[in-house]
Amino acid sequence: MDNLDIDGIYANFKEQAELIAARVYRATDPTEAGGLLARIILELQAQKVVAASSRLVDLCLEAAGDCGTTVHRENLRLRAEDADLGITEMDLAIAETGTLVQDSTDPGQRLAATLPAVHVALVRTDRLVPLFGDAIAWLNEKRTRLPGYVSFISGPSRTADIERVLTIGVHGPKQLHVIFVDREGGASGE
Amino acid sequence: MVSSERSIKENIGRALANENLRGALGRFGDTYVESRERAYAGKDFEALREQIAAIKRGAAEKMEELARRFQQAAQERGAHVFRARDAREARDYIKNLALEKGVRKIVKSKSMASEEIHLNEFLHKHGLEAVETDLGEWILQLSGQKPSHMVMPAIHMLRGEVAEVFSRETGRQLSPEIPQLVGVAREQLRRKFLAAGMGISGANIAVAETGTLVIVTNEGNGRLTTTLPPVHVAVVGLEKLVENFAHVQPILEALPRSATAQKITSYVTMITGPTPVAYPDGTVRDKDLHIVLVDNGRTVMQADPVFKEALQCIRCASCLNVCPVFQLVGGHVYGYIYTGGIGTILTAFFNEFKNAAGIQNLCLGCERCKRFCPAKIDIPKLIRELRRRVAEQQGRPAVQRFMLEKVLPNRSLFHRLIKTARLAQKPFQKGPVVRHLPLFLAGLTEGRSLPAIADKPLRERLGAWDGEDAKANPSQNRVGFFAGCLTDFVYPQLGEAACKVLRRMSSEVVFPAQQTCCGVPAMYMGSRETASELARQNIEAFERAGVDHVVTACPTCAHALKHQYLELLGEDPSWRERTRQFAGRVQHFTAFVADRSSDGSGLKLKQGGPSVTYHDSCHMKGCLGLVEEPRRLLGAAGLQLKEMEGSDRCCGFGGSYSMKFPELSRHMLEKKLGAIEAAGADMVALDCPGCLLQISGGLDSRGACCRSAEDLTAEALPYRSGTRLKFLLSG
Repeated sequence: MDNLDIDGIYANFKEQAELIAARVYRATDPTEAGGLLARIILELQAQKVVAASSRLVDLCLEAAGDCGTTVHRENLRLRAEDADLGITEMDLAIAETGTLVQDSTDPGQRLAATLPAVHVALVRTDRLVPLFGDAIAWLNEKRTRLPGYVSFISGPSRTADIERVLTIGVHGPKQLHVIFVDREGGASGE
Repeated sequence: MVSSERSIKENIGRALANENLRGALGRFGDTYVESRERAYAGKDFEALREQIAAIKRGAAEKMEELARRFQQAAQERGAHVFRARDAREARDYIKNLALEKGVRKIVKSKSMASEEIHLNEFLHKHGLEAVETDLGEWILQLSGQKPSHMVMPAIHMLRGEVAEVFSRETGRQLSPEIPQLVGVAREQLRRKFLAAGMGISGANIAVAETGTLVIVTNEGNGRLTTTLPPVHVAVVGLEKLVENFAHVQPILEALPRSATAQKITSYVTMITGPTPVAYPDGTVRDKDLHIVLVDNGRTVMQADPVFKEALQCIRCASCLNVCPVFQLVGGHVYGYIYTGGIGTILTAFFNEFKNAAGIQNLCLGCERCKRFCPAKIDIPKLIRELRRRVAEQQGRPAVQRFMLEKVLPNRSLFHRLIKTARLAQKPFQKGPVVRHLPLFLAGLTEGRSLPAIADKPLRERLGAWDGEDAKANPSQNRVGFFAGCLTDFVYPQLGEAACKVLRRMSSEVVFPAQQTCCGVPAMYMGSRETASELARQNIEAFERAGVDHVVTACPTCAHALKHQYLELLGEDPSWRERTRQFAGRVQHFTAFVADRSSDGSGLKLKQGGPSVTYHDSCHMKGCLGLVEEPRRLLGAAGLQLKEMEGSDRCCGFGGSYSMKFPELSRHMLEKKLGAIEAAGADMVALDCPGCLLQISGGLDSRGACCRSAEDLTAEALPYRSGTRLKFLLSG
């Protein structure tokens, strides 16, 4: 996919995701993404952060530096309960619907993305696909050994159960921030 | 719960008295259609629903095979699969599992199947706490109510009522502010999630190929229910099975769009086998995943040649969202878990047949739901069939039986009775309308006057033709006019005007004398036999007349003649071909004229007239697909079109419906009249004698001068029936 394509797909994702109340950013590398992450943490004055480890998450957290918070990466079942913010990396992003897709078989991925009030999702820009059907096709190829738990996440949690009035933030996160990272390699790579 | 005729009437009365309910449902119903349309932008709905219908039809056909394959695939991945034949087996399995695992506290994410088997009450009886975590379901659980909508269970409740319920639960005085109430639910239920030993969910799709469950939610409770507790039980109806993983795509594309007008819900979760569970002490162990595949009437439904179609349902509830009756009364009138049109069918099979007996009456037959169903289920057809079986099992009232068995099939007796009724109406008649009816019939004229039966029916005015000389006078372009009862006996002038236009188009127009009722009332009363007999009589009458075209000004008759006769007689080898030929000749007047006059321009109509607003009759738009044609003809007559809001909203006539449920019919009519007035046109034009009866009756009783506009428009479009609004608008 050349850059023109990816820019168009990214723009489409951003438009669709923002329609459903997600906030979308794009960074060239983990250093810039770390800066965005730090800004979100500081603005929200998050005291307690949980993160489900991955290479990208670790690189970005490292780049974010010390934001005056504690970051927990172990025993998320206990730590995520009262965390202000959770960070995870997603496997795919669907432009058509503004959706993130993740193999969430590891429960830590789900705990960090469901219990805290704010979810920050990191995703490599080259993991963008244009259509919902592309994500299904991606999974369909793995159908002989599907991941145990696959999550499709589109915006923060919502309800309209009282008088059909849309309210953002029910049992899941009240905010969803999506940071796209163009090059994972950072200083060392690509 | 028994839905007797009487308790339904009481429920309707209560629902109509609840202004809040009507307001909430009405507002939602009005915005739903547009937002759904936006959500489907760029998608080919027809192609999508064709695909879903094929997938689900195929899955229903091999339900047992898919259940076995699903079981095997899920077990290979480490899940336990239990096949429950009925509600009791499902409940017992779940209860025993909980007791065996030492579970006391259970969290539930929304599952209609668990509602269907009355799981909560049962678990509670056995000392288990099962908490609903979907906001709407939790509100209902706390207030001891049942869901009134499959997707939005508490749509009937106002924020004030919710605040009261939550205040009671928390012991705090809460104000009726929605964000605050949602916050309370988050905080209260979060504790429940963290403490629960078992999570119970439903599933929207179950994939046989992979043993995967697909769960669609918005609030995030589904993810917590399937993540935190060490035991997960999924209650899944057999109709949720699809064969291949790739089949989830069209269903997931349609379900959120049709259900809540979302392109996708906040969360779609796919679970294949057990996944690890993290405990607070830092350990991680494998989860216990139990999938309860529930039959409970589904295999009986599958074996039924007609009702197996209902297994295609993906539970989006769009049939409720567009149903004019549901919009007025909400789900509780239906008296059971599954509500609205499709709910009536599901109730008959999953609950008890007798429960559906009363509620199937609520269907107006407007056929709107059929256009919206993403699984392409012909819900109105299923309801008619249900009606037929109810009548078969429970018998009919004597008067109805007499009408269906003796009167309707005997045309001359039927028509003699109509003439007798003309005399009986005299004491209550004022001019062309009947304003009041005595005693128990008074409800019929409340808010509406009924038209009087005409002194001379259309058949006498036109000079009926028995077709004896058809063979002697072969014609290339002979039109047989099919009147239908309303045009024949109540609005003969409408038929005369229509025939005048047809003649001007240099067609030979004849009125076959042996034609009779189209059969729709009999069909709606569930009498296939009588309807089929009438169909045969009509086909014969038009065959004898040797016509090339069968034209009618009534869209309901046109739909019957063109589509439903094939449904009635298509299985009969001696009638199949004749019916097909006949149906091929049938056209609604408007379509016939538009086709043959270049949308009216060929008629050289007089230009310049009053402004009109157009009412789309249900069967005109929904069953015949005529939307642009009538508007183009109005334009050709130089009439300025001023669209009304919700032009395709049902006027509430529905044949005898307005007599069975006059209160419902009147509320629908009032909404329609409001839209007509707001359009600010000089008159309303429409293409259906039933709608004409309802709408002109309503305008008349509002003190407006109502008369048919045939004489006004005869020079332009003489067939057009219209109702003058000038007087109404000016005072």
